[in-house]
Amino acid sequence: MSAGAAEVTRRAFLGALAAAGVGYAAWPRKPRGREGVPAGRVVIEYWEKWTGIEGEALQAVVDRFNAMQDRIWVRRTAVSEILSKALVAIGGGDPPDVVGLFSFSVPQFAETRAAWPMEELEADFDGGKGVGVGAIDRGAYAPAVLRLLSHGGKQWAGVSSMYNLALYYNRAMFRAKGLDPDRPPRTVGELDEMAARLEERGPDGRVRVAGFSPRLPEWWPYFWPVMFGGRLYDAEGDRAVLTDEATVAAYSWVQATARRVGVEDGRDFAASFSRSFHSPQDPFISGKAAMIVQGPWIANFIARYSPGLDYGAAPVPVAEGLYDPDQPRGMLEADVLMVPRGCRHPAEAYAFVRWMQSREAQEDLARRHGKGSPLREVSPGFRAGHPNRVVAVHDAITASPAVLVLPQTRAWQAYADLMNGMFDAVWRGADVRRALGDVERRAQGLLDQAARLRAKRGGAGGGA
Amino acid sequence: MRAGAGHRGVAGSLRRAGLWALLAAVGVLYAAPLAWMVGVSLRSAEDAAAPGGGLLPRVRGVEGVEGVEGEGGLGAYARGVAAQGAANYGEVWSSPLADFPLYLKNSLVVTILSVAGAVVSSAIVAYGFGRLRWRGREAVFVVLLATLMIPQAVVVAPQYVLFKWLGWIGTFAPLWAPMWFGGAFSIFLLRQYYLTIPRELDEAARLDGCSHAGVFWRIILPLSGPALAAVAVLQFAACWNDFLGPMLFLNHQDDRTLAVGLHMYLTQHGGTPWNLVMAFSVMVVAPVVAVYVLARRFFVEGVGTEGLRE
Amino acid sequence: MSPGARDVLRGVAWISPWLVGFAVFTLGPAVLSAALSFCDYGLLDSAVWVGLDNYRELWGDPMFRVALRNTLVYASASAVLGAAVTLGVALLLERGLQGAALVRAIVFLPTLVPVVSACVCWMWLLNGRFGLVNQVLGWAGVEGPNWLGDARWAMGSLVVMSAWTIGGPVLVLGAAIRNVPRALYEAADLDGATGLRRFGAVTLPMVSPAVLFNGVMSVIWSLQVFGPPFIMTKGGPENATQVYAVYVYQNAFVYGRMGYACALAWVHVLATLVLTLGLLWVGKRVVYARGA
Repeated sequence: MSAGAAEVTRRAFLGALAAAGVGYAAWPRKPRGREGVPAGRVVIEYWEKWTGIEGEALQAVVDRFNAMQDRIWVRRTAVSEILSKALVAIGGGDPPDVVGLFSFSVPQFAETRAAWPMEELEADFDGGKGVGVGAIDRGAYAPAVLRLLSHGGKQWAGVSSMYNLALYYNRAMFRAKGLDPDRPPRTVGELDEMAARLEERGPDGRVRVAGFSPRLPEWWPYFWPVMFGGRLYDAEGDRAVLTDEATVAAYSWVQATARRVGVEDGRDFAASFSRSFHSPQDPFISGKAAMIVQGPWIANFIARYSPGLDYGAAPVPVAEGLYDPDQPRGMLEADVLMVPRGCRHPAEAYAFVRWMQSREAQEDLARRHGKGSPLREVSPGFRAGHPNRVVAVHDAITASPAVLVLPQTRAWQAYADLMNGMFDAVWRGADVRRALGDVERRAQGLLDQAARLRAKRGGAGGGA
Repeated sequence: MRAGAGHRGVAGSLRRAGLWALLAAVGVLYAAPLAWMVGVSLRSAEDAAAPGGGLLPRVRGVEGVEGVEGEGGLGAYARGVAAQGAANYGEVWSSPLADFPLYLKNSLVVTILSVAGAVVSSAIVAYGFGRLRWRGREAVFVVLLATLMIPQAVVVAPQYVLFKWLGWIGTFAPLWAPMWFGGAFSIFLLRQYYLTIPRELDEAARLDGCSHAGVFWRIILPLSGPALAAVAVLQFAACWNDFLGPMLFLNHQDDRTLAVGLHMYLTQHGGTPWNLVMAFSVMVVAPVVAVYVLARRFFVEGVGTEGLRE
Repeated sequence: MSPGARDVLRGVAWISPWLVGFAVFTLGPAVLSAALSFCDYGLLDSAVWVGLDNYRELWGDPMFRVALRNTLVYASASAVLGAAVTLGVALLLERGLQGAALVRAIVFLPTLVPVVSACVCWMWLLNGRFGLVNQVLGWAGVEGPNWLGDARWAMGSLVVMSAWTIGGPVLVLGAAIRNVPRALYEAADLDGATGLRRFGAVTLPMVSPAVLFNGVMSVIWSLQVFGPPFIMTKGGPENATQVYAVYVYQNAFVYGRMGYACALAWVHVLATLVLTLGLLWVGKRVVYARGA
């Protein structure tokens, strides 16, 4: 009897659960993101990659735009894997109105005509008060930035933020080891020397504090040629450039560093930070790495998690003979805004992108992100009280004629991933020239393929 | 295996005790990850990210909670843990980053439609394979089994192209519509179960002038309760847990399902908020566990494997 | 119309939902995938015919070899581990011990957990600093590595994790163990066989069809593994967990090279087919077939 009763209650419960589920599913629900949209506005979807405090910073800027005019409402969504999501959405015919991608996405989206060139969207759009009309002022950009946004003679994207990489160093640790905190390393030789002095090892001989590790952070294994004058890609000839002397020297230096620090030890040390970047356990923020190549956003995270950290920054050290204080070297990348073809509201999307290029929008976002401004001129108040106390270093790199820009080719993603494998092989002691040669050959194959397809399709979107 | 196997005096009892300990160990090992997940969901943010965490959640000075380690004994600790848990779960529910209630609704919509489709269509198709005799039946059935072998990677990319052509990208259709055409494993399961239903019942009904549809509706279906339940539970779990499908075929933030929402939480910058991630995870797992626990009796019966002998 | 033909028509009518679904959602895309493997297709614009270029590139692609090797290693290791653990657990559960029903439910539970949740769980467990595994090891005085961040241990960790979701195979094997006829055990007892001999002479042969079934399904499934490598390690560290399915996904949806991805996928099908047929061939010789 009790078994039967249990059976009945069990079924009743299951039935109730099922009914509740169906009821919940059928009940109409307004998405949280759509709440609070004033009536009568055109809502545009903006996908952006930032989350956490950087996402909130962007939201503040978006809120400004929403508040200052009454025709458009921008709905920002934080999206992970944004590159593939964008491809899938655009390919599927259902893209957002504005998507925040990377500077290396520009060639891919331009050649496949997946985005609107800014020129074609510059029809008069009356966005109501404050939005403005007309073309984007291309002269306002720093020249390197404009290069990143263009392809085949047209501008395909607006910039959302721009950054370059510099050497951040811990001044307190410098002082503790008897180094001058105002004299960061200028050459690779000095870097190695200072790194050796700053390094601390535990009683078991393993690294506890790194002076400098090319494995930290793990995101740009392709960066090191910058320090030696390499350039990764020859845009004119559409050639991958990895076996020139500069690049070989760069990766030989990486290999030498591996040998000095200890191949396994260096790997283990870097691996222990794999998910901790930009958190309180970040190697630089937690004082486990004295010097690190990073972008300007790190200042934001330092301010949040370790405000007392006494840090400085300088352009990355370069090989002997390349040092020039007026032409610092670095790598420039940008986060860009594109308007995908097939989106619902291209005109309104363009209005938003255009406003984002204005000085007020860029400086607001840049300050909130700790970055420098991508525009040629900055307002007088921009640098004063900027949350990143070393933003001047980044600005100098942006303006430098010697700065390297990420390869502008649709094969870059695959090319970069190849560099990953090569970096590890070199770290473990593989023959540098051969490893680089392999990657160069393969990358060249990808580039050639892209070129063949470009020719088949009848030229890049927009000619040239 | 006989229950009394090995029951021979002291050696037998010792052996039995040893086996029991082994059983308990297996249970603990398999439950440990899930128990740990619940445990972390009750921790505070700093506790979740700190090294040397210890086994039990620590109660720190969470906003508004006065429980401090070492003070007040079990009662205060329990209250503190409960408060932390409530804070975490509440934050997940109301997070601006991931609209949990909406994702829950989306998951439910897709899952309910899929389960309904799978049960209905698989029952019908399994009848065709299991109850009707026709030339070529076995050959086609082998093809059906072979489709289980097709890696998802082969079809997901061109399926995307197909759905794009149908205009379904950005809607829920790619996730539930294919279920209405019968799933290979569900069909297999149901066919095996039908084989255990005596044919005399069919024949008696047919002699009385019942059509095949009648036999299906009046005889086979009512007797297939356990197998249908098994199909429903398995399909529910498969759908609820599906990650690749929603990630690829759903574009709008408003359409995301729970699995994708959890992935979003995980891939943030600035460190992963493990306590929130675990709370989200628990909330995603709970419904499936509930359904399984309630339907378990049906379910085990339904996966009869007598037909496995070829 | 002959009765035979009528039967066929009726049969086909009843299975028509599956036939339609198969044609539209499986066969169609499979054929399309084959066609696309001879093209370059970037998702964003139309496909361009390139003939055998993709296959030629595949042949010389080191990452293809790495992904294939990793996947084969994962599949064989997890199949073997899975089979051993499944057998052990299933036997244990069929002993009639108290609490077996509860443990059976616990063992089955992980298969119901969403992949993302399971990955999150295990990422936490295997965390180098505060994961449970390293904490327990710490009590024993051993310093555990950063399991998922260390190229030497990452793949092994994923293999061990795959033994957590053996609920389905345990169910199947458990039913097979229950179905072994008593008469055979009694006969074995009469012959004086005990414990291990009993197992080897009676149990193992009688459940071998189920073991083969589980083995084949496990190999097929683990050749397609995507979730854990994608979510937990993203193919790293140092490409140690770059499995085939992740590489196909990357090519299709990150690099925008769907044509190449389709070529990769078809090679995958071929490999799966060869392995499965091989397993079945071996199985036919080793597995005890009851009756004709």
